[in-house]
Amino acid sequence: MNNAMSIIFASDNESKLNELTLHRTTASLPFGGRYRCIDFALSNLVNSSVTTIGIITRSNYSSLMDHIRMGRDWDLNRKNSGIAVFPPYASNTSTNVFKGKIEALYGILDYIENSDDEYVIVTNSNIIASIDFDEVYEAHLASKADITMLTYTSQPTTSRRVLVESDLSGRVRGMKITRNASDQVSEVGLSCYLFNRKQLIQLVTDSYERGKMDFERDILQANIDSLNIHAYKVAGHAALVDDVKSYYKESMAILDGDIRDSLFYSVGKVFTKVKDSVPTRYCEGAKVVNSLIADGCKINGTVENSILFRGVVVEEGAEIRNSIVMEGGRIMKMSRLNFAITDKDVTVTEDKTLSGSEAYPVVVVKNKTV
Amino acid sequence: MYSNKKKCVAMLLAGGQGTRLYSLTRDLAKPAVSFGGKYRIIDFPLSNCINSNIDTIGVLTQYKPFDLNQYIGNGQPWDLDRLNGGVFVLPPYMKGETSDWYKGTANAIYQNIEFIDKFSPEYVLVLSGDHIYKMDYSQMLAYHKEKGADCTIAVINVSLEEASRFGIMNTNPDNSVYEFAEKPKHPKSTNASMGIYIFNWSKLRKYLIEDEEDKSSQNDFGKNIIPKMLGDGQKLFAYNFSGYWKDVGTISSLWEANMDVLDPSSGINLDDSAWKIYARNTAEPPHYVGKNALIVNSLITEGCNINGKVVNSVLSTGVEICEGAVVEDSNIMPGAKICKGAVVRHSIVGNNAVVGENAVVGDTQKEMVDGQWQITVVGPNANVKANQVVPVKAMVD
Repeated sequence: MNNAMSIIFASDNESKLNELTLHRTTASLPFGGRYRCIDFALSNLVNSSVTTIGIITRSNYSSLMDHIRMGRDWDLNRKNSGIAVFPPYASNTSTNVFKGKIEALYGILDYIENSDDEYVIVTNSNIIASIDFDEVYEAHLASKADITMLTYTSQPTTSRRVLVESDLSGRVRGMKITRNASDQVSEVGLSCYLFNRKQLIQLVTDSYERGKMDFERDILQANIDSLNIHAYKVAGHAALVDDVKSYYKESMAILDGDIRDSLFYSVGKVFTKVKDSVPTRYCEGAKVVNSLIADGCKINGTVENSILFRGVVVEEGAEIRNSIVMEGGRIMKMSRLNFAITDKDVTVTEDKTLSGSEAYPVVVVKNKTV
Repeated sequence: MYSNKKKCVAMLLAGGQGTRLYSLTRDLAKPAVSFGGKYRIIDFPLSNCINSNIDTIGVLTQYKPFDLNQYIGNGQPWDLDRLNGGVFVLPPYMKGETSDWYKGTANAIYQNIEFIDKFSPEYVLVLSGDHIYKMDYSQMLAYHKEKGADCTIAVINVSLEEASRFGIMNTNPDNSVYEFAEKPKHPKSTNASMGIYIFNWSKLRKYLIEDEEDKSSQNDFGKNIIPKMLGDGQKLFAYNFSGYWKDVGTISSLWEANMDVLDPSSGINLDDSAWKIYARNTAEPPHYVGKNALIVNSLITEGCNINGKVVNSVLSTGVEICEGAVVEDSNIMPGAKICKGAVVRHSIVGNNAVVGENAVVGDTQKEMVDGQWQITVVGPNANVKANQVVPVKAMVD
């Protein structure tokens, strides 16, 4: 859809990612061996010809800036359109960083007003899915919706979730904003919306001026009767990453071939920053099964049911099971990892054991030596 | 005044057909052939250039150029997308009423004199697009200046037996060249030309024009330009290079160079942050290793899906190895698929080729025959049928 721009929120729901977002935004959280979470949103947009993209950051955005640079790796270094990253905005009248999405959007209203696109896609950056926005757009037109909100089917967790009740036509009739986990499967909002640009400007301005700050409650829930809000259920695999548990679970999900096909081979390619790593070298002592391995690794130990990011070294006799080792990790001789997540550039010295459980994987913070 | 001036311009000869690579170069130029898992041969000279601070490169293409053109694109993967300079693909073109294919290496440069003149360089570096090596051309250029040479030729020490396959530079103690012998039967020295030359542009320009006027000339650097300059008493120097260098112009040497990448003692260390080899990225996900896979002493890259056994092999982007398949001592090029139960040994499998279920391709080779490895080749896009047996050294198209 070449008549849409997009606004991506780099930060949302970060509090529960704990150590993983200590030094970074959710957007720049490493995911799936060689990606950052925002790569999925950016690639989906680019693959659907949306090339004017504003990214709103709140804090810790240097890792994001380093990842995005001029947007070249997504083919977004354009003369017209391309990427704009908005650092935390503090106006003359308020010294605080924005409190919510409405205030954040209000802060960059100029940017949205300057566009001549008819539509705006407003999205979070923690959505792991392959989404064809051309199809979203067709559905939006067919349903004559004012707002189309993307949904998926899942069990609500203790993170803030928007549960959607829609009628047979797909129109949203009820909306529940909750932090209550449930075993019951529901239609859950992905925090990704298609708006008419002028209407978004008007809704944001109006809410902000009335002191309303909650995007989901004050723009969506409050207008459920007056606006035609439609749900669009994303085809294929979709997931939200917003706490350590979901990060671990959704990472491991990629070891499933069908989910990989859905994420990487169904709609379009997933682009990311190119680092020119060499291919991964398997040495004589390598025993690797059911794992996802990025380039630049050197493996001389055992790796099972795990994800290795770029440039990980697994020394002789080391054993990595059910774990995620981020870029530059070094697991030295005879060390054992089980249900562990080690952040970037972590070294686990010889003969150490790190062990967590599926529900509570051990997390080792960036640059640490164990 | 705004000036386009560059100190040194590189001219990369990439027009050769590479007939000795047979079906591997049927649809693409030799420099575009895959190498080392995620590279193409041309990544080596291009990366060497940018790592040596040479940012203006003309790539002379002629044979099946589309793949190569598309691969080079605007040069961005090598940081060669420049406002002034960068990488230029230079096919033969119409000049007034005449037009000609590139007749020889020297003629290819001759036809692009105007291109080089635009940058008014002092030096021109001539490279070929079929060698695997890491070399700092800026050191060679410094040597060239220090010697006050008109032409400097990079040489590598080869064994006496091999010497008769190369152009041999016979030098004085100060490394000045007194004689050039093309593939000599009785070599006097073992300094083999690597096909890498630095010329003072004003001098080369003059010799190219003279060479063009000589109707008996084959318009070749090794056969014509170098001997002529020597005969005229120009100052030619040999520059000794001692690192890894391999001509990958034959099936045997291409296979061997891929195996060298696996061998840490071979000297071609690709995992070198001080001298990165850049390549165009294909945006594939990390590779997946399945539940019944076994991978030992191999290089595996993005987009691969491995469910069988891979030993001593180099797999390129997006290769699929199905359950029960065995790949040993082989080089599998991008997008190829080895189906269930198939066995591939001492082979090169071309881009997007499919080796059918339970097929057997090649066999273990313990030693060379007449200096050549007996490598079996499955050509690009070829199909080896299920249960088919492809004998050693056969080529499937």
